[in-house]
Amino acid sequence: MERYELVVIGAGPAGLSAAIEASKYGMKTLLLDENGKPGGQLFKQIHKFFGSKEHKAKIRGFRIGQELLEQAQSLQVEVLLNAEVMGIYEENDIMVHIGDEIRHFKADNIVIATGAAENMIPFQGWDIPGVIGAGAAQTMMNLHGVQPGERILMVGSGNVGLVVSFQLLQAGCQVAAVIDAAPRIGGYGVHAAKVARTGVPFLLSHTVIQAEGTDHVTGAVIAQVDSHFQPIPGTEQHLDVDTICIAVGLSPMSQLAQIAGCKMVDGPGGIVPEVDECYETSMPGIFAAGDVTGIEEASSAMICGRIAGLAAAKRGGYVEEDEFQTASAALKASLDQLRQGMFAKKNRGRTDLTETDEGYPLSQSLLKKGFMDPEELTAFPAAQVHRAGIHPVIECTQNIPCNPCQDACPCGCIEVGQTITRLPVLSPTAQCVGCGMCVSACPGQAIFLVNEDYEEGQASVALPYEFLPLPEVGDQGVALDRHGKQLCAAQVVKVQKPAANDGTAVLTMMVPKEMADRARFFEKEV
Amino acid sequence: MASKIDRSRDIGPFVPQPDDDLIICRCEEITKGEIRRAVHEGMYTMTEVKRYLRAGMGLCQGQTCGRLVRPIIAKELGLAQGEVEMNRPRIPARPVEMKNFRKERR
Repeated sequence: MERYELVVIGAGPAGLSAAIEASKYGMKTLLLDENGKPGGQLFKQIHKFFGSKEHKAKIRGFRIGQELLEQAQSLQVEVLLNAEVMGIYEENDIMVHIGDEIRHFKADNIVIATGAAENMIPFQGWDIPGVIGAGAAQTMMNLHGVQPGERILMVGSGNVGLVVSFQLLQAGCQVAAVIDAAPRIGGYGVHAAKVARTGVPFLLSHTVIQAEGTDHVTGAVIAQVDSHFQPIPGTEQHLDVDTICIAVGLSPMSQLAQIAGCKMVDGPGGIVPEVDECYETSMPGIFAAGDVTGIEEASSAMICGRIAGLAAAKRGGYVEEDEFQTASAALKASLDQLRQGMFAKKNRGRTDLTETDEGYPLSQSLLKKGFMDPEELTAFPAAQVHRAGIHPVIECTQNIPCNPCQDACPCGCIEVGQTITRLPVLSPTAQCVGCGMCVSACPGQAIFLVNEDYEEGQASVALPYEFLPLPEVGDQGVALDRHGKQLCAAQVVKVQKPAANDGTAVLTMMVPKEMADRARFFEKEV
Repeated sequence: MASKIDRSRDIGPFVPQPDDDLIICRCEEITKGEIRRAVHEGMYTMTEVKRYLRAGMGLCQGQTCGRLVRPIIAKELGLAQGEVEMNRPRIPARPVEMKNFRKERR
């Protein structure tokens, strides 16, 4: 039996971060993962992350995964892949299934970072091919380059459902609708808005009741639900789809913590180990970090993992008390920044919020339809269109922890401030030069550059564009509104795609001046 | 929690429902009707239903179906979901072929 000072179970964002942190301090660390590749879900995440610079904001998830792997490698963390942990016996004896044998490892400390698994909802036909989890859709598209289907129904409007819907569109699939049994969209408004502006309808208070077909999905039947989430007879409608994608939440995979004897809490978010502020469970030396302790974003999981790794290093005698205090305080402060705002864990499920922290009325249209009515936008100073010359129009109207726009602007036009959940504010003095850096940096794709004085009677609207083929200057097409409805003729007048944008092109289209406050997407004429 | 299960209480007869053929445990292909019937045959806990029907004993080891079986049992017993205790996970946490244990290295 081999002995390690730390064994980390699960090589996702939390586990990798824990292993990196502990080995930085010199701990002999082994990282186990049941998959053939490390990284957990990170390598499926092709979108830009939220947060601030220290949280790796505006970096795409898979690049963060690469960074973490390189760090782990340079610190010589031992990694065993295809290693399934079967159980944790007394005195931290870890039983692992590798290849055709069973091995045991002894650990002074353990970090359980096993993540979560997707929830499913049962309905007639949910077991036929073509009903897939959102995670499977991401695996097919983003790891293997395969379209999950041609026309997809997305069930679930949380961030996973929204992000994956957008990725399906990027992969060239059609998304017939995003439905949710809840009466409001669960994920970030900005994620919903970028899906809505391509023309995807959102149907709230709707559920899927049947997958049609015998050996594969040939259609879906959805229905409206009442306030108890029961389908209302007579509201059934058929959708022509070949794939039903389920994104109805995740459940922590906490079995190993329970097997190890950790005290568990059975709550609405699943069964999770009770942890202290350093992520140590009720079993001394056994830590749990990341989604296994309750579902959050990968950015928070990385910090939780680092705190657990640091605490394990302290337990192993590698960190002095004062050094530990300083380092853990910094990490906790960074984590605290992410845990603010209307989508924070503490506010989850709240429906009584009617205003932003700044006192602006929250857009009801955004919560119900996935896009904002122009009238609602007038309440937000940074979203104003009618200003002289070129300037950013920031349609960021919910308090989410994010500030790359502030760092992106070379002219100091945009300010978020210390509290990163504050809405961005435009400087009254700084002059926008129209570089488009903010447009491509915004992980929510919520920033546009508008110039109502572009030409006589014509305005220019610059928007983030992440689809292929990329339109070219001179292309004629149609401007779409926030709902994805055709609005007016538009012409592409500029396309910027510097390497620093990391794939997000900034496409500028010319539209009649009176459309400047509504034109938010471009569709090429075919 | 298990103490809340009152076995002397009459839960009424098994009444067939239109969606009884709905598969709940995909790995072992156990239907909603089978689970409901099992409750009426005296299986009042997740563990009892698991051992009686194998729901939760397949590839996913209950990770997917556990949270689907639980409300069905609860509803049949007239309990809140939280009053039905979840299965206690056991070693091995993942399905493994017995032959691998021949080469167990301690």
